[in-house]
Parts: sequence; structure tokens; C-alpha cells
Amino acid sequence: MRFILRRLGFYLIAFWASITLNFLLPRFMPGDPVSRMFARSQDRMQPEQIEALRKLLGVDDRPLWAQYIDYMHNIFTGQMGVSISRFPTPVTEVISSQIGWTLLLGGTALVIAAVVGNLLGILAAWRRGGAIDSALPPVLVFIGSFPYFWLAMGALYLFGVVLGWFPIRHAFTDGLEPAFTWEFIGDVGAHLVLPALTIVLVSIGGWMLGMRNTMIATNSEDYITMAEAKGLRPGRIMLRYAARNAMLPSVTSFGMGLGFVVGGALLTEVVFAYPGVGYQLLNAVQGLDYPLMQGLFLTITAAVLLANFLVDILYVRLDPRVRSN
Amino acid sequence: MTQPRFRAARMTAASLAIGAMLLTGCTANVAKTNTSEAGANAGAFLTIPREDMGTFVQNFNPFAPTVNPMVQQSIYESLLIFNPAKGDTVPWLATEWKAAEDGKSVTFTLRDGVKWSDGQPFVADDVAYTFELQKKIKGGFEYLDTVTAEGNKVTFNFNKPWSPALYDVGQITILPKHIWSALPDPEKDANAKPVGTGPYTEVDSFQAQSFVLKKNPNYWQPEKQKIAGIKMLAFAGNDGANLAAANGDVDWAPQYIPNIEKTFVSKDKEHRQYWFPATGAMINWQLNTTKAPFNDVDVRKALSMAVDREQVTKIGMSGYAKPADCTGLSGNYETWKNTQVKDNCTWTNHDVQKANELLDKAGYAKGADGKRTLKDGKPFEFKISVGATSSDWLSVANVISQNLAEVGVTTKVESPDWAAVVAGYETGDFDSGIVWSANDPSPYKYFNTSMGTGTVKPVGTKTFDNYHRFGDTTADALLADFAAEADLSKQKDIANKLQEEYNDVAPLVPLFSGPEWGAFNDTRFTGWPTEANPYATLSVRSPTTVLVLTTLEPRK
Repeated sequence: MRFILRRLGFYLIAFWASITLNFLLPRFMPGDPVSRMFARSQDRMQPEQIEALRKLLGVDDRPLWAQYIDYMHNIFTGQMGVSISRFPTPVTEVISSQIGWTLLLGGTALVIAAVVGNLLGILAAWRRGGAIDSALPPVLVFIGSFPYFWLAMGALYLFGVVLGWFPIRHAFTDGLEPAFTWEFIGDVGAHLVLPALTIVLVSIGGWMLGMRNTMIATNSEDYITMAEAKGLRPGRIMLRYAARNAMLPSVTSFGMGLGFVVGGALLTEVVFAYPGVGYQLLNAVQGLDYPLMQGLFLTITAAVLLANFLVDILYVRLDPRVRSN
Repeated sequence: MTQPRFRAARMTAASLAIGAMLLTGCTANVAKTNTSEAGANAGAFLTIPREDMGTFVQNFNPFAPTVNPMVQQSIYESLLIFNPAKGDTVPWLATEWKAAEDGKSVTFTLRDGVKWSDGQPFVADDVAYTFELQKKIKGGFEYLDTVTAEGNKVTFNFNKPWSPALYDVGQITILPKHIWSALPDPEKDANAKPVGTGPYTEVDSFQAQSFVLKKNPNYWQPEKQKIAGIKMLAFAGNDGANLAAANGDVDWAPQYIPNIEKTFVSKDKEHRQYWFPATGAMINWQLNTTKAPFNDVDVRKALSMAVDREQVTKIGMSGYAKPADCTGLSGNYETWKNTQVKDNCTWTNHDVQKANELLDKAGYAKGADGKRTLKDGKPFEFKISVGATSSDWLSVANVISQNLAEVGVTTKVESPDWAAVVAGYETGDFDSGIVWSANDPSPYKYFNTSMGTGTVKPVGTKTFDNYHRFGDTTADALLADFAAEADLSKQKDIANKLQEEYNDVAPLVPLFSGPEWGAFNDTRFTGWPTEANPYATLSVRSPTTVLVLTTLEPRK
């Protein structure tokens, strides 16, 4: 319990530090959202409108500390304000209408990559020098080292455009009403295959190699030899004795990965025109949309910290050594 | 659309999707499927990609900074429409207009029988109210005193003679007073169900990734609503939108497509065309005239002569742009150009020898190493700034940099984020940069922001136009005359003199007329504007877009 409380305290400080950075960073960037918007509109906006727009969007010249107090107050009361680039839509609405797709895409890809990658790693280490161990890692590392954008475009072109196996854009067929029907769910699934597959392809190699290497170290431990000597079934030794212990680093990675799901799918969303928040974040940063940027960063920060906290708790269960410290 | 090829994928992937349903919190509903019988073009939606919005939010407020596509094109309409491709003006919600003798007012006669999409009549009060609201929320229109509505006439009264107002007020989209005056905070309302006078106003099947606008049931020219509706698709960048265009999934492709002949047209030569009229803004190389040596007109002209505009447009703009001439006016102002100035042009032609002579004469001598020095003995070196994301302008800057090396001037292309570049322009803390310019139906604003002293701010004070900070009193007098003159032919005389002055002082270095991108696929819809029939441009964000929407018809 003391361990968990101590971790919790640590996370609270980390949270405070990150939301403060979140507040400061965009304000240190040159320019302000309105002149940014003006520059981007490249003549579709009148210079005389700038002052009015500044007032309207609440871009203020108040001292930083006053803005900071407001900002903290808003965070703890759950008011994220109104998005500047999507004015007058509230930030919460912009995020909530799109984040589901990002979580679906990133989450699916993460789970598949982690589960399949770890299983492959376990098998590769168990049959060291076997077919899986010698063939798969170089192939996966090769694929994983492709620039993601290129790989995704290639997959899109080959499987979407040329072969026509999968749809090439969006989360479901345009014109379809979202509904809990098999037809719609199937449609969403079909649209998910290519974007999720490409993320899995580039990330799976890391999972497999990580697991394989820890497994190899674990396999040479005395208790494995002991288990073998006792005549236990190899499957049981592999999963319950070796893999369970070798899992620990993977659990940490999974926790971290969970947090990065929100921001990590950015390129995928751009390539596949997937309606998530990834591109929104890029746009918010480019347009100096402080409220939306802060809303998204806050979501990501909270997700990372929460995921890590859960991993910490899980660790206590998995690894008795943590408890004794 | 239920396409059999998706079926196998569907079975395996179905389970993955259940999570999405929970997360996006969608409401259960019977799925509607579009019946896609062959030849059903009559019921098809005109499909258009939007390349810079990854997702849509249901916000149809025309005051929103990032307004949803088509709000000001197909939902709301303006009094008149200026078509830069042909240089003519099309009466729209107003049938005619007349400027007062003294130039201090303009009166529009509104079209009879126009209704809002909710069936209410369109009245003069709507126009007056729109300007009141516009001025309150967005500002601008300092010259506009009052707007008076009387019967079917609306009069705009100015506090000074102000002829550029005609297109300024004429092209603002008009909102219904009976809806907007009832809103407590009009600028903060999402206006999710807009009521407008345009041809396609009814928002349908709104999703973050796409939405549809269906026919306005009360449109004033129902015979021109020949398509069933408009479908907008969201894309987070040009690549996705270009793929959709290449794949034949969209009917209209208004975004920049590199190597368009090969990537787009060649896939279906019979149906695909593009047209890039030079009606965009003039793209300039602006030199910060508060700094030496850019305050020297000979230097500006010499640098301009060193630039090979053919190379700039060929390499930087893939040959799609048109090199500038000494009038400084883009293709948008073809009818305003002073042929004397244009034909006897010197300083926008590529002439390395003359550039060298001019620099020598002005006292910026070439050293033994072939590099020039400033009058204070420092090397003639400076920076050209461009935003990092504008890859086309970046190569324009690189070409210029190479050109200048030929006359012994060293430049460094600097390309940080646009925010940093623009922040430098605004405060005057920059050497030179590639900058767009004002692009109105009348050339007043272009000349005012390139050489009117009224737009010059001291270094350190923020400005949003005339970044190069150049003012000329001769131009001021001409600009004042222009603004006070209501007669078009007399305006043209003054514009001719403005061009002569521009030619003399070279306030900035005009590079090329920006092209207005546009391509289409007429498999499903016909009647597109082309070079032979320039009734509009192929832009989907300009006032002329509504002309295209009311001309297209389904292919039979």
C-alpha cells in the first residue's frame, strides 16, 4: 500500500509538471493564433478583422501568471474552453467526437502487435535457432525500419488501389449511418484492417525481439533447468516458468504504448484519412490553437500516467520483489 | 455500398469494431445504404475533397475562423459575384447597383422572389442586418457609415468617397435576420442547421469524415439545381485527396496535384481535365525596405532582373504559374493592365548583364572573389525566409538564391515554421521573404498595400500587410483619386498611372501570378468551367463556386 501511495504521489507531481509545460510551451512559440490564422488564410482575411477576432477568441495579453491561474482552474473544473481553430466548437466536443476512432485504431494495433509479437518472441527463444528464430526477426526488423509513411502509402496503394481488397479511406463507408448492426461493424472492421496492419507491421519486430532476448536470458536460469529436471511438460515450463518472468519488460512497454496510442496514430490517420485526433493535434500545434492543444496534451498526459500507474499496480502482482522494496 | 470484396475482411475484422461503437458513442440506427445502380447519376452527390481538414465538426457559422467548406459558397450567397477568369461581374442576389455621383454611397436593387431555405422571403433588412453583424463580430468596414434598407433597395453610405467598396460589400454572404437576430451569441453559435438562400443548404448525414448538403427546397432558381447534393470528404493532407482524385472517387479536385498529367489526367483522358488560370494572388519577393540596401530602388530593380522568372515558375511551380511583368498585377487584373508599362517592361525581365551594370552603378562593387560588398564594406549577403511547409515556395526561394549568386549576391534560404516566418514579417524583423499579396476584384488594395504610405508601420509595430514597409507619396495621391472615383473608365486611367508609378519605384519584386488549382472528372457531371468557357474558376472556395454548382448537371 505504501508503495502505491508513493507512486501515486510521484504521478501527481509528474502530472503537474506536464500540464505546466503544456501551458508554457505553446506560449513560447512565436506569433499568436490570430496572426497565424491570418498568415494561413493568405489574403482570405482582412487585416482590420484581426483585432476583433483576437477579442472574440479570447487571445489575451494578460500576464502569464493570470493566464496560468485561469488555466489550472479550468483543468480542475473540467472546462477545456473553446477551440480556436474550430471556433466556436468546445474543445471537449472536438476531442470526444473523434478520439474514439483514434483509440480504436491505436488500441487494436497495440494489442495485436504486443500479443502476437510476444508470442513469437517466446516461441523464437524456446526453439532457439529454429525456423521462427532465424527467419522472422530479420524480416520484421527490415519492415520495421521502413519509414512509416512510405510503408503505409505502399500498403494503401497495393492492397487498396491496385488489388482493391480493402477500402482506402475513412473509418467506414461514407453515407453509412453509424449503428450497432453487423453490417456497420463489419464495415468499420474492413476499414480498420490496412491502417492497423501497417502499425502492427512496423512495431511487431520490437516486441518480438525484446521478448526473445529476455526469454533467452530467463531460459538459462537454474529454475528452468530444475523444472526440466522435474520432468514438467515443456509447454508449462515455457509459459508458466520462463515467459511469466520474461514478461516484465513487455508489461512496462505495453503501459507506455497505451499512453502513446493517442498521439502515435498521427501519420496513420493522415495517410488513411482516418477521422481521429492525431491530425487534429498537428493542426492545433501549427495553428497555435492553445485550448485544443492543451486539451489533447492533457488527454495524452493523463493516459500515459494512468497507464503507467496501472502497470505499477500490475507489477506488484507480477513481481514479488517490488513489494519487498 | 456493400461491395463483395470487403466481405471476407469484414468477417475477420468485425469483432474489432465493436469497441469503436462504444467509444464513439453512436446511436443505434438502421444503416442506410446507397443503392448504386449503374447510370444513377441523377441521384448522385457531387463529391469534393477538402484537403486541409482531417475531420469536420458540425459548425456552419460563417464567422468561424475555419469555416466548414461550402458555407459561403452553397449555403449563403452574396449580392454580386466577380469572376476573375473572365473579368466580369455577375448579378446575384442583387439585380443591379449604382454608385452615387459623389462616390459616397452605393445602392443595390435586390432580386424579387428570393426566399430563404425555410420559406421566409429574403428582404433588404437581411442585408442591412448582415453588415451590422459583420462589423460587430469581425470588424473591418471602417468606411461604412450606415446601411439603409428601403423596399427592395439597400443603400450603403460611406464616410468618404470610397469606390473599392462595391466589391467589398457586394461579395459578403448575406445571412437571414429572422434567424440570426434571435441568437443570444451569434458568433458562438454552431449554426448546425443553417438557413440560407443558396442552392444546397440542407445538412445531411453529418460525420467527422464526411457530410452532405442537399437541395434548398425554396431556391430562387430551381431549374439550376440539377444535382441531388454535394458530398464533402475530409482529408488530412493533399496526398489522401490526390489519391481519391486519381482513383476517380471524387468529381472535383481543387487541391494541388503534382505532375497532374501523369497522376490524374492520364488515367482517364476522356473524362479528366485540369485548368489553372493565373487568377490567384501575385506572389512577391518582398525586400525589407527599412534596411539598406533594399531602400535603394536600383538595388530592388537589379535584384529583380537577376531573377530568372521562367526558371522560378518552371522549377518552383511545376510550370503552372505565369511570370510577373512590370505592372505587378496578377492575371486576376488582366483587364486593368497598362499595356504601355507591360510592353516596355525592363526590371522584371531576366537580364544578368543589366543587373550587374545597375549594381555597379549604384555603388555595390564586385570584389576580386566575384562577390559584391555593401557601401559600408560588409559583404552583400542576406536571408530569404519561407515557411518550411510550403515546398513549392521553398524551391522558388532556392532558385532565386542561385540566380543571385550569378550577380555576386549571396543569399541564404531560411525556412523555419510559418509561425516564426510570419512573426518576423509582422514586426519587420526580416531581410526578405516570399509573400502573397492582396487579391480583390479592384487593384486598389494591391497598390495600397504594396506602396501606400497609409499601410506602412514602423519596425517593431505589428502590421498585417505591407510587410516590406514601403510608402510612396505620389502613389498616395493616385490611390486617393482612385478611391474617390466612381466611374470605371476614369478608375482605369488612374490605375494606369499607378502602374507607371509602380514601374518607377519597384516597391517589391513581383514573381508570378499564383495559379488557381482545379481539376475535374466529368464521368458523372458535365458543364465544368474550362479555359474555353471561363464562366468561373475551378476553385471551391471562391465566390464563383456557386456558379459552377448551378451549372453542373448529371451526365445522362
